[in-house]
Amino acid sequence: MLSLDVTSILAGLPAGGAYALLGVCLVFTYRLVAVVNFTGAAIGAVGTFTLVLLHEHGFPLWPGVGLGLIAGMLAAIVLGLVMVTWFSEAPAQTKAAVTVALLVGIVAIGLRVTGGQHPRPFPDLIPGPAFTIAGVVITKAAVATIGLAIAFAGAATLFLNNTRTGLQLRALSERPTTAELLGMRTRVLSIGVWAVAGIATTLALMLIAPQRPPNFMTLSLLVVPAFAAALIGFFRSFWLTLVGGLALGMIEGFTASIDELQQFRGTVPFLIILAVLLWSQRNERWDEAR
Amino acid sequence: MKHVNWPWTIGFVIALAIGSAAATLLGNYWLFLFTGAVIAAIALKGIGLVAGRAGMIALSQMAFAGIGAWTVAYLNVWQVPGTLFLWVPIGGLVAVPFGIAIALPALRLRGIHFAIVTLGFAAAFDSILAATTFPGQTQFIQVPRPPGFTSVPMYFYFVVAVYAVISIALDIVSRTPLGASWVGIKHSERGTAAHGVSVAWSKLTAFAIAAFVSGVSGGLLAGQLQTLVSDSFNIMVSLIYYAVTVMAGAHLAEGALIGGMLIIFFPELMRRLNLPQDIGNIAFALGATQALSMGGSIAADLRGGLRRLRRKVGIRPKTYPEVMRKAGQITPPPVAEGARSVLSIKGLGVKYGQVVALDNVDVEVPEGAVIGLIGPNGAGKSTLIDAVTGFLPSYQGAITLDGGKLDGLDAHKRARAGLRRTWQTTRIPAELTVGSYLNMAARRGLAPAEMDEILQWIGCPHPSTPIATVDVGTRRLLDVAGVVAARPKIVLLDEPAAGQSYEESLFLAQRITEIPEKFGASVVLVEHDIDMVRKACNSIYVLDFGRVIAAGPPAVALEDPDVVRAYVGAVEEETAA
Repeated sequence: MLSLDVTSILAGLPAGGAYALLGVCLVFTYRLVAVVNFTGAAIGAVGTFTLVLLHEHGFPLWPGVGLGLIAGMLAAIVLGLVMVTWFSEAPAQTKAAVTVALLVGIVAIGLRVTGGQHPRPFPDLIPGPAFTIAGVVITKAAVATIGLAIAFAGAATLFLNNTRTGLQLRALSERPTTAELLGMRTRVLSIGVWAVAGIATTLALMLIAPQRPPNFMTLSLLVVPAFAAALIGFFRSFWLTLVGGLALGMIEGFTASIDELQQFRGTVPFLIILAVLLWSQRNERWDEAR
Repeated sequence: MKHVNWPWTIGFVIALAIGSAAATLLGNYWLFLFTGAVIAAIALKGIGLVAGRAGMIALSQMAFAGIGAWTVAYLNVWQVPGTLFLWVPIGGLVAVPFGIAIALPALRLRGIHFAIVTLGFAAAFDSILAATTFPGQTQFIQVPRPPGFTSVPMYFYFVVAVYAVISIALDIVSRTPLGASWVGIKHSERGTAAHGVSVAWSKLTAFAIAAFVSGVSGGLLAGQLQTLVSDSFNIMVSLIYYAVTVMAGAHLAEGALIGGMLIIFFPELMRRLNLPQDIGNIAFALGATQALSMGGSIAADLRGGLRRLRRKVGIRPKTYPEVMRKAGQITPPPVAEGARSVLSIKGLGVKYGQVVALDNVDVEVPEGAVIGLIGPNGAGKSTLIDAVTGFLPSYQGAITLDGGKLDGLDAHKRARAGLRRTWQTTRIPAELTVGSYLNMAARRGLAPAEMDEILQWIGCPHPSTPIATVDVGTRRLLDVAGVVAARPKIVLLDEPAAGQSYEESLFLAQRITEIPEKFGASVVLVEHDIDMVRKACNSIYVLDFGRVIAAGPPAVALEDPDVVRAYVGAVEEETAA
């Protein structure tokens, strides 16, 4: 019985790695450009489907990955341009609302270009198993996703706390105008943040995509478990977000293994979001809360 | 029924009847589409309530509609009597507990977290829908339309009638103090709580009503399509509806209808032009982004245009005769010898971390008096008001109002007990009219005569004036009008004269001295304008670094050497040296 539990829990690791990486990207954009980004998975879906479409037309795999990453980066840069051009002084809630509106647009375009809800085959970037523990085959893709998440969380923490640019970016996210008055090149810095987030998001989605119902909408909605992970990290801590994402994946793996719960597997991120918010906001009052 | 705007209601019903009759001429194909548009408009009204009025990002409205549709499908499969006439409202009611459950975390949260919760809910609902089917779907059991309304035109009329009922009901509710409080919490939760509104209750009712309205729209859709598919309620639809809500301004009556038309007819137009139908969704995304960057919406722009047009053709908004804001002789109100204390503050202490903001402060406010509270910046005046009115998490000491203990009570309960305040910066929601703001502040519908009297007394514009068109100085007077309209036991005015001209602040000082007699409330006046305090107050307390350094009649207290030093600095020592 125990071994079965461990098996199903470990089976959730690959998804958990992707949630963790996406969650870390959300925290990254929130802390550096002060945007809670609802397109946090959709921009990655743009890059991923670029790869898929190129691959379908016989384009070689790895150059396709490169072009896909560029496409994801460009999508994020366009989004960033919209934000810095029209909404740099807008309240956080308005910025979030803008990303919701743009999510509608990106998904609409995505579904049109990729042929609606029609599933498409995804190439496995790193096929094959890495190793086996407790009878569970851990794929190389899973190891890569989790490794990437750890690397990104570590790099982001170091960058924010120990570099001059990191400090500037923190100032920028809190007081864009003041930062600009201090002579910072706010536009360039912001766009840079968006570009990095776009690349990391695309990578996460390329790795997780083969295990998901492969359509543009489903991939874009991976932002929901990513939000759950980011909330576990209070939208501040990269490491807590990482742990949260992995835990979320494992809880999902566990619920998928129990017949009575399987049908409700998709509600896990929602329930976690609800629980985390009720807990973390228990003392918040009045207008100060987000 | 003073909350009913009869000309609006009658005009709305006539317009709807004419529009429906005209639509009938178009034939069943178009009528079917119009039915869909009106149902979409009902769903948009639900989102508009939460997103437009209460200012939250709500992304799961179609999940509520799905719950309504699901309920109707079950009632049909179970052959529950009552037909759609009964099933539709039941579907709405079933959605309500879900709306409340979603709202629970939102009681303390605001926009972004609420957006995440609702998106999570919509995704969860999607996943359950994908794993199951609608009741009766696999057996091809159709949802029958209600008897007498089975044909396309008759069902269209049925839907229009439901739309009319919901619109009028929502319009009536929005004119009550509760409805105004929804707009209030969007603008400032503190400001709304200070009027005695429970912010939690206000949010809960908004979500519950929005869920009900969405559930009803789902039930109506079940009757229109008769066979339900989960795609009608998926998360993308919820997101599109949110975008259209923002773009069209669905919290306004015509905004919801415009939005419903856009949702149904934009794809139809694309189809006729041989273009892909989902171009509409891209257009909605861009439209919503544009609306967010401009801070307007289609409906709001139309209303603004209409207002300008009315002005151009010479229809003037209603106004009062001009009031000269000039003061006569200002004397403090008469206070009986040995008058009892209305507000009593004993040993009040507040710390922010290591910083002592207030230290063992005692203040007594006798019945019928105007008490001044002055001191340099950072002396603790506003902290004192925050503590007394319940806006600090904790403080030491005891505060009693008319003998009743206030400590531990929430802000809105203190306000209801008869303690009202204004803020240094005005927190009046610009979307309201002067009259609806006054009703919200008073927590009751004021009789027109009473409203006229208060507004003219302090020189505010006519109740029908939109606050967006009122200048900031007048809004500060409206703040005062709002708190006295509630007929509290005491009002605390936090720098009401800030930003006023000298003449205006003297006028205000005179009005403040009239408050005890006219409205039965004692006054605590926090001001920097020493001249105003000297003329209007029976006695004053001077605070410096969180302590009372002097108290007594203005003439005495203001001459106190400690007070002079606090205000002017160490002048005496320098001259002495």
